[in-house]
Amino acid sequence: MSAKKLRYLIVIGLIALWELLPRTGLIPELFLPSLSATLMAGWTEAAEYGHALAVTLYEVVFSMAFACGGGILLGAIVGSLPRPRILIMPMVSSLYAVPLVILYPVFTVWLGIGSESKIAFASIYGFLPTMLATAAGIQTIDPQLLLAARSMGATLSQRLVRVIIPAAIPTVLSGLRVGGALVIVGVVVSEMLISSAGIGYLISRYRTILDSPHVFAGVLLVLFLAIAFNAAIRWIERKAAIWQTGTRAAQANDEITSGAMQPAT
Amino acid sequence: MQPLANVTPLKPPARAGAIEVKNVGQVFRTKSQDVVALDDVSLEIKPGRFVVLVGPSGCGKSTLLMMMAGLRQQTSGTITISGAPIPQPDPDRVGVVFQEASLFPWLTAEDNVEFPLALRGVPKAERRAKAQDALKLVGLEGFGKRHPHELSGGMKQRVSIARGLVQDPPVLLMDEPFAALDEQTRMTMGDELLRIWAATGKTVVFVTHSLTEAVYLADEVIVMSARPGRIVDHLQVQLPRPRTYEMLSGDAFGALRDRIWRHIRKSA
Repeated sequence: MSAKKLRYLIVIGLIALWELLPRTGLIPELFLPSLSATLMAGWTEAAEYGHALAVTLYEVVFSMAFACGGGILLGAIVGSLPRPRILIMPMVSSLYAVPLVILYPVFTVWLGIGSESKIAFASIYGFLPTMLATAAGIQTIDPQLLLAARSMGATLSQRLVRVIIPAAIPTVLSGLRVGGALVIVGVVVSEMLISSAGIGYLISRYRTILDSPHVFAGVLLVLFLAIAFNAAIRWIERKAAIWQTGTRAAQANDEITSGAMQPAT
Repeated sequence: MQPLANVTPLKPPARAGAIEVKNVGQVFRTKSQDVVALDDVSLEIKPGRFVVLVGPSGCGKSTLLMMMAGLRQQTSGTITISGAPIPQPDPDRVGVVFQEASLFPWLTAEDNVEFPLALRGVPKAERRAKAQDALKLVGLEGFGKRHPHELSGGMKQRVSIARGLVQDPPVLLMDEPFAALDEQTRMTMGDELLRIWAATGKTVVFVTHSLTEAVYLADEVIVMSARPGRIVDHLQVQLPRPRTYEMLSGDAFGALRDRIWRHIRKSA
């Protein structure tokens, strides 16, 4: 049997278990409501979930723009210039090890419990890995490529546009993948902690009243959000980086996605 | 010395392809000390010659090549290519071929070959035509749409050579171009390079570690010593052309290779 078929079977099996285990009473409904009960709960409160999803999406989109835009920009500067690198990199790396979520209460004091504090928190949360990956991507560009471009008479701006940017794309994308996933985590977690709207808030609220089906409906929604994001990044990767097989950038890419850069939550 | 009748204002064709290195020195300054990489190197290469630079690691042969390419400036002395100094890279006068890794992996073979033309805004149609000609010259007709990772090591180096030749410079500089190839491919590429050289009449300066490759390819072999890099011998290889595999086991070939080896062993 092919690996792909097996994967599908495992997913189908898990879904079946989700339905069967609570129904047969092996797991209490409070711990794990059945899939049908979860879907039903989501369906009956569709308007509430829809509104929460809109709030969460709005926060995710803005945070992603800040995190990825800022991360790529600063990463490019830090990656290509040695002086800022020496000044900033050690700081950023150690900051990366701090569980940033401890700062969230401070953000709510500064910015209130509305969307602003979530966007601020999630932006910083996703910004660090994006910046680190971009900086690494620019640094791992094969110096031979730049030398070759120079030998063909490329000016500084031509080298940037025609060599540095295309060469850095695979690593930057893998940074976006990690950074974007963290943005979603950041938004949902901050909604769960202190807030008045969003999917995280719904999950948290239903949990306090022990309404498991509604909690799991929210969890499902976050799951779909993450899957959709992953699919979008994959699509971009396929479009932008068909060539990356066997380059140094691709190797650096593997190291990042294989867990060398796991966030401290 | 040269006939003046067919001299054009900018580049006297009679000197096109000539390389002159006069009293060139290169000093690398580090925090603790100055390292003399090249010390008073002088040599003259006539147009259309195939010249090979050999020497132990760290003798500055690649540094010398980079200076001829305008990629690095000498600390003292002068270098002229086709009669003029080369303060920065000039692909109209000098093409450079590096080791394997220097093709852009995100571009197809023909886009790689067109790259230097694209840099100076040559129209697409003209670019494509020139790239096709260059790819044909190196025996890669029909492979233009492939990406580098879809090509073998030897084919990648053919693309690099095509890229170096696409602007038709009179001088082609090659920095250990076949070092990453296996022995059989290396032999084939040597023959291919000689064929291309004979067809185009370029001046070729070729850096290598392989003494056999040096004698097999060259009209002249320049032997350098390590730290500081100096020229210790300048051999004329009188073997007839075309070179053949059988010459490798001949006495004349062996004598030349031994002479180079003795220099290198002494200075290493």
